[in-house]
Amino acid sequence: MISTLKHYVKTFTLFELLQGLSVTGKYFFKKKITIQYPEQKTPMSPRFRGHHALRRYDNGEERCIACKLCEATCPALAIKIESEEREDGTRRTTRYDIDMFKCIYCGFCEEACPVDAIVETRVFEYHFESREGSIITKDELLAFGDKHETQIAKDRAVEAAYR
Amino acid sequence: MINTISALQQHLNERLGAKIQRSKIAFDELTIEVKATYFLDVAAQLRDNPLVPFDQLIDLCGVDYLGYGDVEWETKTESFSRGVSENSSARFDFDRTSGSVDYDGKRFAVVVHLLSIPNNLRLRLITFCEDNDFPNVDTLVNVWSSANWYEREAFDLYGILFNDHPDLRRILTDYGFVGHPFRKDFPLIGHVEMRYDEDKQRVVYEPVTIEPRVLTPRIIRDDQRFSAADEVSE
Amino acid sequence: MPEIRNFTLNFGPAHPAAHGVLRLILEMDGEVIQRADPHIGLLHRGTEKLAESKIYSQSIGYMDRLDYVSMMCNEHGYILAIEKMLGIQAPIRAQYIRTMFDEVTRILNHLLWIGAHALDVGAMTMFLYAFREREDLMDVYEAVSGARLHASYYRVGGVYRDLPDEMPKYEQNRWNNAADVKRLNGDREGSLLDFLESFTQRFPNYVDEYETLLTDNRIWKQRLVDIGVVSPERAKQLGFTGAMLRGSGVEWDLRKKQPYAAYDRVKFDIPIGTNGDSYDRYLVRIEEMRQSNQIIKQCIDWLRKNPGDVSLDDHKVTMPKRDSVKGDMESLIHHFKLVTEGFCLPEGEAYAAIEHPKGEFGCYIVSDGANKPFRLKIRAPGFAHVSAMDEMTKGHMLADVVTIIGTQDIVFGEVDR
Repeated sequence: MISTLKHYVKTFTLFELLQGLSVTGKYFFKKKITIQYPEQKTPMSPRFRGHHALRRYDNGEERCIACKLCEATCPALAIKIESEEREDGTRRTTRYDIDMFKCIYCGFCEEACPVDAIVETRVFEYHFESREGSIITKDELLAFGDKHETQIAKDRAVEAAYR
Repeated sequence: MINTISALQQHLNERLGAKIQRSKIAFDELTIEVKATYFLDVAAQLRDNPLVPFDQLIDLCGVDYLGYGDVEWETKTESFSRGVSENSSARFDFDRTSGSVDYDGKRFAVVVHLLSIPNNLRLRLITFCEDNDFPNVDTLVNVWSSANWYEREAFDLYGILFNDHPDLRRILTDYGFVGHPFRKDFPLIGHVEMRYDEDKQRVVYEPVTIEPRVLTPRIIRDDQRFSAADEVSE
Repeated sequence: MPEIRNFTLNFGPAHPAAHGVLRLILEMDGEVIQRADPHIGLLHRGTEKLAESKIYSQSIGYMDRLDYVSMMCNEHGYILAIEKMLGIQAPIRAQYIRTMFDEVTRILNHLLWIGAHALDVGAMTMFLYAFREREDLMDVYEAVSGARLHASYYRVGGVYRDLPDEMPKYEQNRWNNAADVKRLNGDREGSLLDFLESFTQRFPNYVDEYETLLTDNRIWKQRLVDIGVVSPERAKQLGFTGAMLRGSGVEWDLRKKQPYAAYDRVKFDIPIGTNGDSYDRYLVRIEEMRQSNQIIKQCIDWLRKNPGDVSLDDHKVTMPKRDSVKGDMESLIHHFKLVTEGFCLPEGEAYAAIEHPKGEFGCYIVSDGANKPFRLKIRAPGFAHVSAMDEMTKGHMLADVVTIIGTQDIVFGEVDR
């Protein structure tokens, strides 16, 4: 009897709807958690896997020795490498293409690289202006590496303990 | 209460007897193989078994055993060859889709995974289709309703026909797809590719232009490192 | 008198309430559904066929992309099948990490489900609130694996890297002054475990809020109660698993019945429903979120106290450490061998299943002894659930189809594979 009465009172006073409104009303006055994206960003992990880059040693020599481990381990077959002996007798790549449409950003190439040449950087905002533009060449990758080297080196140093 | 797989194996051997062709325990799982003619009968008996009722069909799938054990790179030869020979499923080309002609064993199997909720036991039921060119088995839809879509999937991907299935249509592939894509003689890159043609103002199909690449060859090692755990540290 | 006929309605394949690319052909008698014929496969990528051409470890990343809202659970199912065939077990710390991340994933999945389900049914606020919490868990994902969604974090014989001791922090800029940064970084001062712990302390209150908004709400109840009723017998016949089965009152949870990882070492309860309608399944999933929260807490406690290896020392299977690759010839050879050849599984077949947020996710591997699977079959829970669409919607109104799609919690990545 009491419970039926309670039920009727609750129904006619819109009790549960008002309760719900109080929750949303409370958030109306709270500080907003939204972020003004392009200007403001959420923090990023040093493990982040974004755009690829090829690194160099401190003396400016490119690290990649064309061992093709990254090519072999790439699940999406996105990497294509051709290599040749250079004049000084060392083995280097003549072609290092990554198809960014095929890439699944799994990070296996970085894991496979024995000389830390190919890395995935924090950069995740980039675009191409043609379909062919999705293939990133060796020069572009090296230039990209040069541009972000400070950040790349910092992230690798932080992560060294875990790898 | 039957609640171990060895007890289940014994129980099923007694109950189904000659209908079981092979029964095997590996990796803590019981597999029984039956002839295609007994498939439906055995399935119904398993479901209605009062001691171990297999009340759920968890999964049903087709398997194509063409090229089982084939490798792309021999590991026994003394000197390694750099080239990868074109003798395996990943490298079939269009002109060499041989079908069942040069394969003498039974090609298509239907694998059913069953679960008994009251007994907390799993069972794998396998049957091989008799005819490689016209693979067919009886449908299990009337035993477990969930078999309906799984059988449509097996039909779509492997071309296995399920006799008396109420609605055997393609399910995963495109409308008007030709062939059964998961068969081992169907190339990974497919046969046709699709693009929008400006002139014709419609989508057109053309032979594929992708080149197949294999970067890590398929090999079989005889020295099974993982069969014995103590072998690991050297 | 004109002849009265059923008419056919095409729903999808890009309908916003279809949770992806579902095309439904509905045969309608007025507004009542006579027959529903779901057309799936619009997201079919042939993951299983692709896996046949790759060595085992390379397919891990593709597992993420099956059910793309519960990434790590998919990986777990795949990894377990391989570990079963190899006869190895990950170190105990890796087991706990896996358990913790499975539960983080479960919360992630249920949050997306409740947001999308409520949005479909008409409660928009839920979507915003659910995504606020997801953001924190995404940060956890990113901190540990480097990706917010497609983690590829689990490895055969362990996990990729140990949990980080530091969380990434906000920096001061023209939007955030020093006080803002201090507030934003409040939870981020400690390690990942501290960050996650503060989340687990907040989370029950959030779930209370969701319940205040929905559980007693008359509109929510009108849309869910007695919609899509499935009896326990039919649920078993139709191959339902997970919350769909438990909502019908069948007490079945692989985490309890066939425990894997560290589930036999943590305490939790499994909620079950009574009526088998959409509302019961809603209640079951809400309670599952609370239970997952409890499991995460227990895992955090254990992981704090027990540092150790997160991947096996057996370098025939797991990658050797970075510094040993650079300093030690044997490790370098192992490294090259693993990348270019991988490992071979013994001949045979195995099936391993886990309790995925949506149901039973299983992987069936047939191996002929090679370094690539001969056949990989992925048992996706959603597939069985969508196949029951016809039975569940029959006799309901058109608007209820949306509720039923929501309550089935389907994601087409896994249905179509």
